Amino acid sequence: MIDVRQLKKSFGSLQVLKGIDVHIREGEVVVVIGPSGSGKSTFLRCLNLLEDFDEGEIIIDGINLKAKGTNLNKVREEVGMVFQRFNLFPHMTVLNNITLAPMKVRQWPREKAEAKAMELLAKVGLQDKAHAYPDSLSGGQAQRVAIARALAMEPKIMLFDEPTSALDPEMVGEVLSVMKQLANEGMTMVVVTHEMGFAREVGDRVLFMDGGYIVEEGKPKELFDRPQHERTKAFLSKVL
Amino acid sequence: MDFRFDIIVEYAPYFFQGLLATIGVSLVGIIFGLILGLFIGLGKMAHHPLVRLPFTWYINFFRGTPLVVQILLVHFGAMPLLLAEPNAIVSLAVSLSLNSAAYVAEIFRAGIQSIDKGQMEAARSLGMTHAQAMRYIILPQALKRMIPPFANEFIVLIKDSSLGMVIAAPEMMYWGKAAAGEYYRVWEPYLTVAFVYLVLTLSLSKLSHYLERKYSTQ
Ligand SMILES: Nc1ncnc2c1ncn2[C@@H]1O[C@H](COP(=O)(O)OP(=O)(O)OP(=O)(O)O)[C@@H](O)[C@H]1O
Ligand SMILES: [Mg+2]
Repeated sequence: MIDVRQLKKSFGSLQVLKGIDVHIREGEVVVVIGPSGSGKSTFLRCLNLLEDFDEGEIIIDGINLKAKGTNLNKVREEVGMVFQRFNLFPHMTVLNNITLAPMKVRQWPREKAEAKAMELLAKVGLQDKAHAYPDSLSGGQAQRVAIARALAMEPKIMLFDEPTSALDPEMVGEVLSVMKQLANEGMTMVVVTHEMGFAREVGDRVLFMDGGYIVEEGKPKELFDRPQHERTKAFLSKVL
Repeated sequence: MDFRFDIIVEYAPYFFQGLLATIGVSLVGIIFGLILGLFIGLGKMAHHPLVRLPFTWYINFFRGTPLVVQILLVHFGAMPLLLAEPNAIVSLAVSLSLNSAAYVAEIFRAGIQSIDKGQMEAARSLGMTHAQAMRYIILPQALKRMIPPFANEFIVLIKDSSLGMVIAAPEMMYWGKAAAGEYYRVWEPYLTVAFVYLVLTLSLSKLSHYLERKYSTQ
């Protein structure tokens, strides 16, 4: 589903990704962990080309992102993204936040987009907020709307960049449970998070990134209980 | 001191003509300033530094030199090259348009850049093109924030149209000065003119408050 080969990326003279190789299968839930500044967000953002990369290749669902003639908007239609700071559109109602892209990008008629939006709002437990503006939502509600918004495009892959880091502790659970449900439905997911409980329970595989490399990867149980590398051990001892 | 209303009454038709001219050149200045300014603002946001250069210097020139100088250059320098018979009102309208375009460009650029980067990223991550993201996400939010600075700029523009006096463009100030010259009176003509400018600028500022409130409730 996602094939990443020797991915390299610099910001000016700072090389942030120094050669990432990873293969993610359909339906797999991959959790990315690592210290601050290790390149987790940058890696995730390369996957839908919010960041352009310098070297290597990324192939998503058979499409090489860097090949000539690749329509990036088409790729992005298939790859949903959820941000740490929600990034809801504040000038639109919750419903319009969700229906905008299906209507403008997928050219769905309004009725179809709204039906889909209401179905997704029910799924994340927020039907009653359809006509509210984002300002009036709590952090947990806003993030669930953001997830619904991304899902409305019916993506094949969902990327999450620290979806619960900006939330008050009591709201983390409601967002994680939506993500867990999504995982159980077979969505291919790449999740950057500090929620080790979620990684252990929902993740099929954990990647530990440090200094622009994937230092270690494995099943959550193995990686958390028997880390091989010193750096992994040092990181885990701090966060677990 | 007696206040001679008869001067105002006598000059009323001229003040009225002047008012129409002032409103006319201001409207032209606002409309063409907006159109040209949006274009220049876009140019100034171009990625390539060489593409940006002319737009940057356009803004530098028109913001960095006195409007009076620009009016004189336009009327006695540029217009004679373009028109057989330069018209002072036309020259004034052109000067105001060129000048306000520079300010509009900066307001436009600052408004767009004030929108959180996450908005564009969210829109692009949903598959929208850059143009769609601008149209549906960035501009609606940015335009709302641009209302107060635009109102400010256009209030300045209305007042600055009085500089048309230096090329004898028959706007309101011109008639004020004519009345003052004819009667050797200061208060009556200039207070009248001042009052009319005040009505114009206060109306514009009311309109801006109204728009601000209208769009902030959404
Ligand atoms: N747009 C940018 N311009 C310059 N440097 C950047 C940019 N984005 C990220 N960086 C730098 O790249 C490095 C990796 O950043 P990245 O955001 O990928 O780390 P991260 O692992 O997500 O960290 P965190 O856990 O703090 O979110 C950091 O040193 C950061 O300062
Ligand atoms: Mg990050």
